[in-house]
Amino acid sequence: MSELVVARDLSKSYGATRALDQVSFRIGAGRIVGLIGPNGAGKTTALKALLGLTRFDGELAVLGLDPWRQRHRLMQDVCFIADVAVLPRWIRVRQLIDFVAGTHPRFRREICLQFLARTDVKPGSRIRELSKGMVTQVHLALVMAIDARLLVLDEPTLGLDILMRKYFYDTLLNEYFDQQRTILVTTHQVEEVEHILTDLLFIDHGRIVLDASMDAVQQEYAQVAVRPEQAAAARALGPLSERQGLGRVHMLFRGAAPADLEPLGEVGLPSVADLFVAVIQGARA
Amino acid sequence: MNHCLWLIRREFWENRAIWITPLVVLGALLLLLLGGKVQFGPIGGMDNGTPLGAIPADQQQQLLLLVYAGISLMMFLVMGVVAFFYALDSLYSDRRDRSVLFWKSLPLSDADTVFAKFAVGAGVIPLVSFAGAVLAQLLVAAGGSIRLALAGGSAGILWQPGVLGSATGLGLLWTITAMLWYAPVVAYLMLASAWARRGPFLWAVLPPLAVAILERVLLRSEHAGDFVSSRIFGLYRLLGNRDEDVSVTVNGDDVIVNGEEVRAGVARLTDMDPLGALLDFYTSPSLWLGVVAAGLMLGAAIWLRRYRDTD
Repeated sequence: MSELVVARDLSKSYGATRALDQVSFRIGAGRIVGLIGPNGAGKTTALKALLGLTRFDGELAVLGLDPWRQRHRLMQDVCFIADVAVLPRWIRVRQLIDFVAGTHPRFRREICLQFLARTDVKPGSRIRELSKGMVTQVHLALVMAIDARLLVLDEPTLGLDILMRKYFYDTLLNEYFDQQRTILVTTHQVEEVEHILTDLLFIDHGRIVLDASMDAVQQEYAQVAVRPEQAAAARALGPLSERQGLGRVHMLFRGAAPADLEPLGEVGLPSVADLFVAVIQGARA
Repeated sequence: MNHCLWLIRREFWENRAIWITPLVVLGALLLLLLGGKVQFGPIGGMDNGTPLGAIPADQQQQLLLLVYAGISLMMFLVMGVVAFFYALDSLYSDRRDRSVLFWKSLPLSDADTVFAKFAVGAGVIPLVSFAGAVLAQLLVAAGGSIRLALAGGSAGILWQPGVLGSATGLGLLWTITAMLWYAPVVAYLMLASAWARRGPFLWAVLPPLAVAILERVLLRSEHAGDFVSSRIFGLYRLLGNRDEDVSVTVNGDDVIVNGEEVRAGVARLTDMDPLGALLDFYTSPSLWLGVVAAGLMLGAAIWLRRYRDTD
């Protein structure tokens, strides 16, 4: 089975608000998918549905299971970090490791301990005694030691300093990710994850507005740093967006021929952030 | 099953009061015994004159049994408070600090989690109380023996196997009865705990209080209040005759039971039949209806645990 997640016409309403509106998508094995959207777009609702934390209308299979009905079985193969703050504050690191080792069949204690040995975290410390960055290291150590098929990260680096955020994603990519594992991540700090993503899912107002692999995005979209004197010519090609830079106008083009773009300025890969802004504005227009 | 053991262990980590409280009570008891500040009924009175030794052997045993039972009762009352707050916090604290999402990221069902917490509140805490009560009895027997020996008396009187054995057996039966009797109370508190978005104490206490007040104002009756107080205190009323309180006091050389000197008073005490009264509970429908109600409320708590806050 190469598709870990199959969602078809997924809907969820809170009162009159439609948090998810007939959303369909698939996530294949071995991908790192960024689920990206503005606040209130339905990201968290989608993740909760995937993790069996909320009911939904429509069809949803995660690893072939119905997440709402089979949540505790699903959790043997799915890991998630909802936010760094959720580890219980009263527990000691050692107790936490013992507990997960006792209850999770796919947890490997020695991997967790190896990982923690490289940090300043002491096994006898309580979570409330640790800094926010250290709590993240503990959580990451736990998650990395679980041989899960799907890892879901919801704003995992919220509130962390830039060093810790970089450390988090570097560790994830270098030591956790292999071609079998699949990661689904949401974050507002798109620029931090864009170099690790293989796929993009943009969501806005409960609908998927972009579902593409990074390869496809890079083939289809191009960012050009247009020299001011070429701006008018560039605009004639119908850029999706423009952004004023230092002595250049950055324009995003979709499906334009490289031969047309190259005379205008330096052609580069689009940043996910620019793409996101352009796509969301396009979808709302 | 293995999961359940880990879940129960976690409760001990989180709620250290479960095992610290009995140790504190035992420590306080030890200090009082060493300080000699407190007279434990007739045992304290034995320092000089030993009125206990002067009464017939069977009544002597009965009186000692009551002293031991009283000491156990103290332990159970303190642990009852621990159990109350444990159950009230059980399904609330991890939602308050949001660690509930971490627990839900582990392959554990909500039903297992709720059952484990119920098992601790309604089963493990009573068993810990029982163990604490047995230790408290032994501590008092030991303390009393030292004081008896210092006073030149015979300490053996406190160590009669029949008495200690009966006290332990009665304590165990009491413990099991209490588990069944208080199961609906624990389940009710857990339900309030699972329901409350804040202030589980108020959610637990206000509804029955409001019903009782409304009933009193509108119907001028007190069935709701009686219902609650009989559930909470019913088991403790057993140990005294329902109609009268038993008080054992020491006045100089004399042990006074309910205002009468020990010989006459003991005769009345021996009329009490705590074993019979405990066994009577098993034929009362309210015990078994309570167990059924506990099951229903636990089911509701599991349901809430799934839906509350995350849905």
